[in-house]
Amino acid sequence: MKKTVPTAAIALAISVALAACGSSGGSSTAADSSGADASPIKIALIPPSTGALAQYGADGVKGWEIAAEEVNAAGGVAGHPVELIKKTTDGQSSTTLQAAREAVTRDGARFIGGVMSSTEAAALNAQLAALGALAFNATAKTIDLVGKQCVANSFHIVQTDLMDINALAATLTTMPGTRWAIQAVDYSTGHTAAEAFTKAAEAAGKEIVLQQFAPLNTTDFGSYITKLQDSGADALFAVEYGADGVAFVKQAAQFGLSTQFKTVLGFNMVSEPLFSVLGDGITGYYNNVGYDVSADNELNKKFVAAYTAKYGEAPYYVPADNYLAAMTLFAGIEKAGSIDPEDVRDALNDLTFDSLVGEVTMRGADHQLLRPSYLGQVVQADGGLAFKILDSAPASETTPTPSPDCKL
Amino acid sequence: MTVTTAGGVTAAEAVPETRQRSRRGLVIGLGAAVVALAAGLALPYVADTYTMGLAADAALLGLPALGIGFLARHLGLISLGHTAFFGSAAYGFGIAVTQFGWGPMPSVMFGVLAGTAIALLMGVLVVRASGMGFLMLTLALSQALYQLCVQTSFRPLTGAYDGLVIGLGSDTSFLGLSPADLQDPGLFWPVVWVPLAVGLVLVWLVGRSRFGTTLEGIRENEERMRFSGYNTFAPRLAAFVLSGFLASLGGALFALNAAYVSPDVLGFARAGDSLIAAMVGGLGTLVGPLVGTALYVWGEARLNSSANLHLYTGIALIVVLVFLPGGITGTLQRLWKRVKR
Amino acid sequence: MNAAQVLNGIALGSLLMVLSSGLAMIYGLRGVTNFAHGALYMVGAYIGYSVARHLDFWLALVLVPLALAAIGVLLEFVFFRPLQNRSHMEVGLVTFGLALIAERVVVLIWGEKTLSLDPPAGFSGTTSLLGVDYPTYRLGIIAIAIVMAAALIVWLRHTRTGLYIRAASQDIETAGIMGVDVNRISLIVVGLGAALAGLAGALAAPYISVDPSMGDKFLITVLIVVVVGGVGSVGGAMAAGMGLGVIQTVVTVWSPSVSVVVPYAALVVVLLWRPRGLAGRRTA
Repeated sequence: MKKTVPTAAIALAISVALAACGSSGGSSTAADSSGADASPIKIALIPPSTGALAQYGADGVKGWEIAAEEVNAAGGVAGHPVELIKKTTDGQSSTTLQAAREAVTRDGARFIGGVMSSTEAAALNAQLAALGALAFNATAKTIDLVGKQCVANSFHIVQTDLMDINALAATLTTMPGTRWAIQAVDYSTGHTAAEAFTKAAEAAGKEIVLQQFAPLNTTDFGSYITKLQDSGADALFAVEYGADGVAFVKQAAQFGLSTQFKTVLGFNMVSEPLFSVLGDGITGYYNNVGYDVSADNELNKKFVAAYTAKYGEAPYYVPADNYLAAMTLFAGIEKAGSIDPEDVRDALNDLTFDSLVGEVTMRGADHQLLRPSYLGQVVQADGGLAFKILDSAPASETTPTPSPDCKL
Repeated sequence: MTVTTAGGVTAAEAVPETRQRSRRGLVIGLGAAVVALAAGLALPYVADTYTMGLAADAALLGLPALGIGFLARHLGLISLGHTAFFGSAAYGFGIAVTQFGWGPMPSVMFGVLAGTAIALLMGVLVVRASGMGFLMLTLALSQALYQLCVQTSFRPLTGAYDGLVIGLGSDTSFLGLSPADLQDPGLFWPVVWVPLAVGLVLVWLVGRSRFGTTLEGIRENEERMRFSGYNTFAPRLAAFVLSGFLASLGGALFALNAAYVSPDVLGFARAGDSLIAAMVGGLGTLVGPLVGTALYVWGEARLNSSANLHLYTGIALIVVLVFLPGGITGTLQRLWKRVKR
Repeated sequence: MNAAQVLNGIALGSLLMVLSSGLAMIYGLRGVTNFAHGALYMVGAYIGYSVARHLDFWLALVLVPLALAAIGVLLEFVFFRPLQNRSHMEVGLVTFGLALIAERVVVLIWGEKTLSLDPPAGFSGTTSLLGVDYPTYRLGIIAIAIVMAAALIVWLRHTRTGLYIRAASQDIETAGIMGVDVNRISLIVVGLGAALAGLAGALAAPYISVDPSMGDKFLITVLIVVVVGGVGSVGGAMAAGMGLGVIQTVVTVWSPSVSVVVPYAALVVVLLWRPRGLAGRRTA
């Protein structure tokens, strides 16, 4: 035991030193943000680089890259060049937070984008005030992020689940099928969607005959599919995304489930990157669409052209919404004439600007960007499957009033 | 279940540490602890915010690691279930704040109590097992807890997969720190460093005590101890609960700092990572698990850019098991002895 | 409750049965809890995916077990044999490290994306059985698994090698003294166990999607199955695997919350009440 004491002290010193390792040169904090100098706008991007969402993470970064290249070529935003600081996460909120802390305290980032999931976004929101940074959320759609989890330093660029559901409601009456089943992921997205859909369906005179939730990362949907078959439903509302969506669609095909349904309405389930893996069986499926790639306005055409030229494929909602996030930030900086987060935050409140999805407004009360939502149908096009936009609903129709839980 | 001794994994040497219950050792040890405590408290004055963030993370994860190490060193039991106590305490804290509307201090106490209670319940079931059976049971029970936590029926309480955002009222304070201060690693540091240092001393003192001797006797030969008239169940349960208490302390403070809990904290990946970190540091020494955890936190921040952290932890685990029994600290201890000789 | 739900349970049980039989054999002989078993299954699914994509699905069912058997042999020579005098705990944790490495290596080769494979021609539709239309491919899995299980039991009971395996699983030292070439037996068992994990993976590829975490999802369940079935008992593990598959699926219909706890509850009850498992120490 005599030896343990010095060893303990030595090892303790080592462990402290280890934690301090790499701290050299860590003093480059807080970029000087005052004055009309050309100090860079430092934006940290923290996408998942592993797990089921890695592909979306990489695509989100592409949206920011296009935006950064565009403004840097034009001399920056209000004279400040844009610098992207790329971090990665394994998708766990603790790793994401660590990356955010590192980006802010060591690399001097003042703005954060590319954070993917609702859990990460919620965890980050809780830390933003302490970090003194602003976050721009372009993928996490849970309504809580502009409800009880909202914070002044976070801006919600992507539509919430509720906005998208409300956009479907108008068309619901015309969709074939009267007895609907709901198959949803056991996540707040699934629950919000199921609840809102039930209301909309009942208002449209439809009946809900079954509602079931499958945990995230379900691999065997057999028993759920059997229950769907037993329910006697003739239409399906499905909220299963990523790998779960693929597994569900594939297994449903093996069970011959599609013959039972006159309508399959997906929610956050079918998206362009999954077309090839889901296969032709999804032709005719309806799904909410966040971004209309063929929108007829100059800003969108410019974005689509730049994106296609650089990455060899057309953009979809993930890069487009991240690009829109960048546009929102840049609009705020232009108006504030400053890159200080507090000035930008104040400038963004109730700011209206023109964008690739038309004119949008950042609502001051809950920091939700007011923008349209779309309903699409999967069709066979020249280059394989594509979305045909059936309907678009403006934010005034889709967006609920700010949640009373959100106090900014 | 086949009984396997875990001696090779837990200690650099199979021989139990010879104990010198001398006053001198005690004084030197406590002196070193006071110096370490003071040195640690001075850390925020020399390190930047980022480094402090890493140090705070390492200390938070260090508490469960200390618990894992204590069980391994004194009872030869390898636990893959300390996430259960860490996670229960974190959720306990969150539920106390969000459901009962309690302030931070009572909520932390409630969280620690909840985690320790889970340790007591689980301990009653698992401490009779040993070796692989113990590892499997702790793993299974902690994963059962994870499964329950994410169930739809528990959504109102735990938020299921969505996690729980713990919004402390801006007028509340914890030991004089406002909710915003708690998220500043430099200001938060003493809140976790003091419990860690005290926990370290506590574990050291327990190891030196008569109770510690009893535990080692049980580790070496449980049957013999039982035949010698010792109650072997109660000491094992007490040790398990102490170990769980340390993990719970880490969990409650983690939630206090993060203001958010997600089911990750109860997950299999987290359970494996914390055990690997502790083993790489060395389960045979008092501070080995802390060294390993610090290394892990550093690696997570530095090496995970390509998400290949698990590639490195996997390799590190195998290297330690095959070539460096006793982990980093165990190996250093052996080298030190050889140099002195 | 209808017949399709029971078949769903049997299909899941079939997969668990194939997976757990290999794990149980390795456990029985080497005493090692192979945490890399889930990783072997995942690697099998990925290799199966590639072979089926580029060559043929049926060929995958042959090539994958062979490839995995080779990996198993490698494991035996590099880890299990050199470390046979170490504690079982240590070797078990080595396999834990191997599983972590394998998962990342697979990602580096095949990428992060979830892959999916269509069932082979003739197996993509449904077949009418017991009054329900059930996916033909799942019926195929059930058939293959049952044939494989029966063949394995017959092989263990009625061949000389099978006898040696059973002897060595009872008491490896005594078997060695009695003249059984323990090294050779061990090589066969580890190779066969890995091959079975690979077969399960290849069968799973068109059944559930292929993704890097698919091994993790099954690992804990399969470990539990092996312990519940009786440590080292192939027959017990297979019965427990099938039983758990059916019970879990059927209970899910009634209450998903209860269903997820079933395996853990079973493990606790068995380990505390009958630590040798339901089948005791019979190997086959």
